[in-house]
Amino acid sequence: MFNYIVRRLIYSVFILIGVIGITFFLDNMMMTPDQKASRVLGPKAVGQTREEWIHNRGLDRPLPVQFVQYVKKLVTFDFGTTWVTGRDLRETFLQGVGPSLCITVPGFLAALLASLGLALFQVFVRNSPVDRGLTVFSVALMSVPTMVYVIFAQAFLALNLRYFPAYGFAYEPGMLRFLLLPIVIFMLINIGYDARLYRAIFLEEIGQDYVRTAYAKGVSPSRVLAVHVFKNGLIALITLVVAQLPKLILGSLLIESLFGIPGIGSMLVQAIQTGDQPIVMVSVFLGSALYLLSLIVTDILYALADPRIRLS
Amino acid sequence: MKENLDRLWEHWITQDLLVIGGFALVFWLLRRGARNERWQRAWQRMKRDRGGFIALGVVFLYLFIGGLEMLRIPGGDNGTRSILDVFTAGVAQEKTYSAPLADELLNSPRHEKLIGRHLLGTDVLGKDVFVQTLKACRTALVIGALTSAIYVPLGALLGILAGYFRRWVDDVVQYLYSTLASIPEVLLLVAILLVLGKGLGTMSIALGVTGWVTLCRLVRGETMRQTERPYVAAARALGQSHRNIVVRHLLPNVMHLVLISFVLGFSGIVLAEAVLSYLGVGAPVGTSSWGAMIDSGRSELARDPAVWWNISAAATALFILVLSLNIFGDSLRRAFDPKRG
Amino acid sequence: MSDGGGGMIPSALPGRDRSVPVLHFAFILSGLLFLAGCDNNPHPAPYHKTRPDGSPWAVRYMGLPADPKSFDPQFVYTTIDQQILEPVYDKLLEYDPRKTDPITLRAAMLEEMPKKEVQPDGTVSYLCRLKRDIHYHDDPCFERTGGKGREVVVADVHYALQRIADPKVESPFFAPLEQRIIGLHETREMGMKTGKFDYATPVSGFEQIDSHTFRLHLKGPYPQILYWLGMHTMSPVAREAVEYYDGQMHDGKLRPSFRFYAVGHGPFRMREYIPRRAIRYERFEGYHTDTFPTEGFPPERAEVCKKYAGKPLPLFDELFIMIVPELIPGFVLGRQGFLDSITATKDAFPSVVTPDRQLQPKYKARGMTLERIGFPSTFYYCFNMNDPVVGKNVKLRKALASACDMRAYVEIFYSGVAPVSNQLVPRGIYGYNPDYVDPNAFDLEKAKRLLAEAGYPGGRDAKTGEQLVITVNDAVEGTEMRQRAEYEQRMFERLGIKIKIAESTFARVIERLETGDFQLSSGSGWAADYPDPENFFMLFYSKNMPREGSNHCRYSRPEFDRAFEQMSTMDNGPERLALIEKMNAMLAEDCPVIWQFDKVTFLAAQPWAAWTHNSRMIEYSNNKYHQVDPVLREKLRAEWNRQPIWPLFALGGLLIGGLGYAVRWNRRNHV
Repeated sequence: MFNYIVRRLIYSVFILIGVIGITFFLDNMMMTPDQKASRVLGPKAVGQTREEWIHNRGLDRPLPVQFVQYVKKLVTFDFGTTWVTGRDLRETFLQGVGPSLCITVPGFLAALLASLGLALFQVFVRNSPVDRGLTVFSVALMSVPTMVYVIFAQAFLALNLRYFPAYGFAYEPGMLRFLLLPIVIFMLINIGYDARLYRAIFLEEIGQDYVRTAYAKGVSPSRVLAVHVFKNGLIALITLVVAQLPKLILGSLLIESLFGIPGIGSMLVQAIQTGDQPIVMVSVFLGSALYLLSLIVTDILYALADPRIRLS
Repeated sequence: MKENLDRLWEHWITQDLLVIGGFALVFWLLRRGARNERWQRAWQRMKRDRGGFIALGVVFLYLFIGGLEMLRIPGGDNGTRSILDVFTAGVAQEKTYSAPLADELLNSPRHEKLIGRHLLGTDVLGKDVFVQTLKACRTALVIGALTSAIYVPLGALLGILAGYFRRWVDDVVQYLYSTLASIPEVLLLVAILLVLGKGLGTMSIALGVTGWVTLCRLVRGETMRQTERPYVAAARALGQSHRNIVVRHLLPNVMHLVLISFVLGFSGIVLAEAVLSYLGVGAPVGTSSWGAMIDSGRSELARDPAVWWNISAAATALFILVLSLNIFGDSLRRAFDPKRG
Repeated sequence: MSDGGGGMIPSALPGRDRSVPVLHFAFILSGLLFLAGCDNNPHPAPYHKTRPDGSPWAVRYMGLPADPKSFDPQFVYTTIDQQILEPVYDKLLEYDPRKTDPITLRAAMLEEMPKKEVQPDGTVSYLCRLKRDIHYHDDPCFERTGGKGREVVVADVHYALQRIADPKVESPFFAPLEQRIIGLHETREMGMKTGKFDYATPVSGFEQIDSHTFRLHLKGPYPQILYWLGMHTMSPVAREAVEYYDGQMHDGKLRPSFRFYAVGHGPFRMREYIPRRAIRYERFEGYHTDTFPTEGFPPERAEVCKKYAGKPLPLFDELFIMIVPELIPGFVLGRQGFLDSITATKDAFPSVVTPDRQLQPKYKARGMTLERIGFPSTFYYCFNMNDPVVGKNVKLRKALASACDMRAYVEIFYSGVAPVSNQLVPRGIYGYNPDYVDPNAFDLEKAKRLLAEAGYPGGRDAKTGEQLVITVNDAVEGTEMRQRAEYEQRMFERLGIKIKIAESTFARVIERLETGDFQLSSGSGWAADYPDPENFFMLFYSKNMPREGSNHCRYSRPEFDRAFEQMSTMDNGPERLALIEKMNAMLAEDCPVIWQFDKVTFLAAQPWAAWTHNSRMIEYSNNKYHQVDPVLREKLRAEWNRQPIWPLFALGGLLIGGLGYAVRWNRRNHV
């Protein structure tokens, strides 16, 4: 197993280099060093200031040298500063993680519980009209753009009924009021897709021999579902769940920016809109690093949960 | 030279030929596929699925409307206009907002009368919302079609090659898609769009480049399964060329996966367009799109009185298309793979 | 309700089993419904509930659309940044809060208005005396006093001037000031000899007389210098603060850079900056620089102002600037009473302002008042005079100008209230001519004729028959800009030409303006740095070309330059007016720009925050003169935010009914 992890890590490093290569390529395609300087220093700064800025950042060196620098910068987490706001990037990210997690973690858990419940219920009444109706319902939930959820929720719940603040965030005892609506929307967005997925997993399990054995032994249907099927389906679930975790840290772009939550998602939207390139590039790097890490963690968990699986 | 090419590209005949060619290509592929025994069995099962059929009908309706807007003929203010423009030529252009079926401008202190009636009202620039919603079908279809034209061949081909040749080919393909898959999708999309600039074409390229991974994985897995079947071994023993085995034997047997991914992927693309509109990298100015209409609804709903018709029309149109595509995709999947559906 | 909902469902299911997960689902839903009845206040709790004397703590809530780019007074140039900085840094002079016509300066940190002295050699100097006992906010950077803010002295003004000359600070004001202040140019040259700016080099035009008196020497007459003294760029800055906040690690702690840390001497000190969310300020206890004026109030505000006559400033204790990039939540929050004014942006406009420029009765009934802020600024389309197509063809430019229907534009996007402009100088600035008739005003027939004369009859090249394509450099960020761009496209396409919108971000549009990579640029504008026509006409001065200058059209005409040079340092009078008229005629003749409109911002002030001043030069700041009545706010807010309960019952009933029905139906048909 140790060997396996080491090998996976090495492979991940290669993939990360690929990711960095892509971002580096995009980075250099997007703007010339001169344009970058102009974006950071303002269009008025010319001549010496501009050249100095370019030189200090090594942007006038040959591309391979720049690539090595770029890798070094990312790997050492020395991201430099943002362009438009001129703030320390690492600090900016750290500040954004908290608010993002406030939305995504509860939203994710709520979606998990709700979709698990829905899926188990559907499996329980499988192939009945209720099951089919709920499947269509899940598909319908998936077919609504996030924007529409947020816009209508804001218009009705915040604007007309005044149940929630239309906008805002703060760390304080009553902070739940800011979080509730975003969390519910986060849940709604994920519930449809997840429920269908979990239903498929459970249906697969229910076709297995051990389930038939259990039925034959006279175990009640709901107990079979709740204990046997759920337990065995859990292994497949772990994979799905862990793979989602990196996304939680990056937050939700639309929900955060539309509700004014100062997390990483809204930071990204702002960066995209103002053209603050380093933020986009660094998040790509962090996002894929976390994703790769989560894949490895999944494999380990998989092995731990099911002794039949041997990592090699 | 480049200018001439651009002009040729932008000429209405070229554009029409492309549209017709695209439709013909899809039709031809479906005809080819229908010869396969597996497809025929699926078709039999599909016939019994009423929901799937209704969904298919709805999708066809959208295709028809989008097609009308895509085909251009000479005439109009700007040199060319679409067939849909011809049909809607009688719809009046107002000054600014008006409510559905109202007879005067919204909030007009002088009670200014409208020139015509509008089923779903008019938007800020006085355009009929119903017509705009229909026209936006084109944007959705163009992006969907162009994106599919990029990612479907790419994903299917790489998937088959990786699954058939294995070894280093597989390693390379796996490396490629693991790399792409590890990048958060929206960010990669936006980064590519920032490089390429705005436009329907560039948006499709960005979506296509990021979108082939899932299909490739699916096809690769299925191809691997198929290559272990006796018929491939038999074909090999008979000394058939790689090309023949791939095209004659493997491709028809994985095409159903491509079809299902194509249908479901299409719905994802339509949804993605709405997000991109909000991020400011959506359809260009002057092109009606559901994404842009929904985005404008953000502020219009807060008006007093609220302008709800614009966003509602766009959201409903988008929702119905995506829902139909999803339902149709699901029923296709059930038809092809009844055990797992 | 939650118990009933949760209990009913499992009983209807076959094989009662407690672990059936439907329970979770019902539980979550009912829990949400229960929690839904919570508060909709978008703000965090204020720093305190009451003042030390027991009276209620007063907070002012403002909304701004973007994050600040910098807190450095010598660098800040956007109106948003100026508004964010305004509470923290006082200025040497400020615009009189009571007078707008004409806009007048008054002494703020200075004891009185600077005294002008004409020297025998033709140079001009201004004698200024700083008020005593103005202190900096307490901050750890004042190591010698143990963190206590020291007194502001003349050396700090000199230091600010040196910072303008320091290339590292990148002050955009160096270029205009180096032409005027003696020695500023040399300071940069001398200071840069070693490669790094040396603050030992004094500015020779700045004469320190004693710790509170200085004289500023100018190369020649330049009355506008007073306006510069009224800007943040000349605000005194503590050297200790700049040197302490260097953005480096010290003893394992990262100190922010001075660009993002404000140590000022204004009425408020900045306590927190949460990016993308808010900036929070608290009253500076040691602020004694200024008191509320005792007379000369504008008549319509006299009633509010009298209450505060002679009171120490500021009038409230905490300032909360909410960053609301989404303009519409801003409107919603204002309507619910969570911001102290509602800014009438495009979609909010018809709800707030009636077409005859009054407050909508609905808001009037709430006790709100309408404020009209005619911030002196003007917007225009800018031709690139170096462009081979539009730059060389004056008829084509005039055709486009005449095709530009700004009346309808303003009608759609500003409910017809923003004035359409027809000349460079906006209302409220000397030189504005209300009777001026623009020869290039909207006239579609004339535009078509001019286009034909320009060589493009019907929008097609007379020689090749090709349709004329014009690319418009346009910032498209968000729906509103998108709608505007679409309107522009349709407006010009009525001529039969094709308009390509080169969409990009605002930053990119500016970049293109600077590099000259455009044909026609939309939404260019100029907001007055100071209320003088010189500040506008310099936009067409040929020695003011980008990137150093702002002549984005690349307009160049020697006669214009001569007239401008003459006009710029002149005192107001008929002679100056005549020159301005001449320059206007030249601009109309060459048509390097198409006038759009003057920006007018309308906002409705809440009943508890009625305005006490009439300032026009800072859009809606002047925080120290603002007043807030927290008691009234509390009362009205509660009144405006009552939450109806029936939808909860309706929703709950619907859910329970629906679930129950589904289960029964399922049992009948399935089990």
